[in-house]
Amino acid sequence: MAKVLMKGNEAIGEAAIRAGCVHFFGYPITPQSEVPEYLAKRLPEVGGKYVQAESEVAASNMIYGACGVGVRVLTTSSSPGISLMAEALSYIAACELPVVLVNIMRGGPGLGGILPAQGDYLQATKGTAHGDFKLLVLAPASVQEAVDLMGLAFQLAEKYLTPVMLIGDGMIGQMMEPVEFPPEGQAKPLDPGDWALTGCAGRPRRVVNSLYLDPELLNQHNLKLKAKYARIAEAEQRWELYNCDAPYDVLITAFGMVARICKTAIEELKAEGISVGLFRPISVNPFPTRACREAIDKARRVLDLEMNMGQMLVDIEAAAQGTKPIDFFGTAGGVVPSPDDVIAQVRKSLAAAGVEPAPARAPSKPAAKAPKGAGQAKRAKK
Amino acid sequence: MDFPPPARRVFIVGNYGSGKTEVAVNLALALRARGVAVRLADLDIVNPYFRSREARALLESHGVRVVVPPGAQSFADLPIVLPEIRGMLQLGPGDGVSLFDVGGDEVGARMLSSFHDHLPADSYALWQVLNSRRPFTDSPAGCQRMRASIEAAARMRVTGLVSNAHLVTETTPEVIAEGLALAREVAAQSGLPLVFITAMGELADHPQVAALDAPLFRLERHMLPPWLRPAGACEDPTDLPAARPTPLGRPRPTE
Repeated sequence: MAKVLMKGNEAIGEAAIRAGCVHFFGYPITPQSEVPEYLAKRLPEVGGKYVQAESEVAASNMIYGACGVGVRVLTTSSSPGISLMAEALSYIAACELPVVLVNIMRGGPGLGGILPAQGDYLQATKGTAHGDFKLLVLAPASVQEAVDLMGLAFQLAEKYLTPVMLIGDGMIGQMMEPVEFPPEGQAKPLDPGDWALTGCAGRPRRVVNSLYLDPELLNQHNLKLKAKYARIAEAEQRWELYNCDAPYDVLITAFGMVARICKTAIEELKAEGISVGLFRPISVNPFPTRACREAIDKARRVLDLEMNMGQMLVDIEAAAQGTKPIDFFGTAGGVVPSPDDVIAQVRKSLAAAGVEPAPARAPSKPAAKAPKGAGQAKRAKK
Repeated sequence: MDFPPPARRVFIVGNYGSGKTEVAVNLALALRARGVAVRLADLDIVNPYFRSREARALLESHGVRVVVPPGAQSFADLPIVLPEIRGMLQLGPGDGVSLFDVGGDEVGARMLSSFHDHLPADSYALWQVLNSRRPFTDSPAGCQRMRASIEAAARMRVTGLVSNAHLVTETTPEVIAEGLALAREVAAQSGLPLVFITAMGELADHPQVAALDAPLFRLERHMLPPWLRPAGACEDPTDLPAARPTPLGRPRPTE
């Protein structure tokens, strides 16, 4: 199929259609509004339904209901909207419904701003709402990866009967890249299994419910969920290692679009003879702790970079278990670190690790002390 | 292609992501290079990211007057129409060309409906930018539907077509040729002229592109994504709240 140029938000919508999801319930909020806008145009073309709810609270309960009758569903929102959906997400997880949702994160806390951020990492991976449940959470770093992970999200949701969330910052929602989609009309309908409310003629009735007044039954239900999350943690860890085959002193950890900025910085440092590794979790829940630890073991020092005030940092610390010092650099509110910001932080970490800066290979190059000028000069020539 | 344009008021419309801002920014710089006074109004109230206001410092360094909401409001997605934008419609002898970078789809074009009463039909150019690799405008019928919805929202008529067929860094001469073929078909159906086609940078010199039978406008890429952009490339000390003028779409440094 020929490549098309799409905004991340539009591509997420189209990817859902290709995965066989033609029912969307949602509410617009910047910077993800192009998902509902796109699906409002596209879903009628493919025999689907777009419903704009009166609020995120309503939208999240609509996906709860629609999925309960065995319909593949999607909702998308941005940070404050996801907070409003939290209660229904707990119900959905308790009822083991395979819904897929997307959070295109914006600056917070509170109403915050409309520019990109990663401040909902802990909300997505640790404390989405009340009770013992976990979302399976995937974090793409390009529009194409967002498309691919949307397909995977529906597969995983239905394999484990659990809600799956894609988290991306506003950049990934708004930026345009050429993308390729799987063919249309290939996805099988959602398997109603032994849980969906499809009409009980000729069989015992089913109930989608999260109320267990009997403590022993509720305990059993929690143990069942716990076992499921353990199976997911065992089988569904995904990550990317970048420049980790060569020896490195500093390992960068970053997720989503920040990792992409780091790659540009790593390539520039490589040209100077400085080798830096990058560990990028693709599944941020389950977090690939073992793989992260293996990458950390090769480094003298870890540098965690996020567009928040240090959220994935808790997972990096858990992986390192105090074996290596960890530096952190974070921005918030919509301030996006540049490749030169990353390079400056790497130099600080190298200095803290007691590593001598590598001599510049060509004498005409500016000294390592002037990274900003060096980086700019190189880019300007391109 | 011909400079200056056929009208002194030029509105750039099109669907989301057709490349209106890149075309508008390049047009403004090309006109300045020919000594024409230029004012560029960023009317994008729809998309909070990648707007021409993000190229403001670059444009101003070339003498383009950029009209955007002041201070923190420039980071909002609010329908702010500055008094100066209406002023740009009244052109005196030395005022050169007024360019208007309009927001995407009919939603963005709605901003124009309030200008209708101030503009005689033959006093402006309103160009629809087409990208054949974008959803909804990948067919002549799709382009016509987009045009009809934009015209209805704007209460103004499209006067010309611009083919800006591209896949960012993956654009090939074939993509540009395919876009030209689509634009020709839309032009034939609508009776509208094809004003120009575009090609980015070195692609404009490619023999297959140079051989195409249409006016060609060479673009330079000014709206860079953050992972390609150096810090502090474009500090604007005037009225912006943060140390960095905008977190997205910062232009490359001026060479």
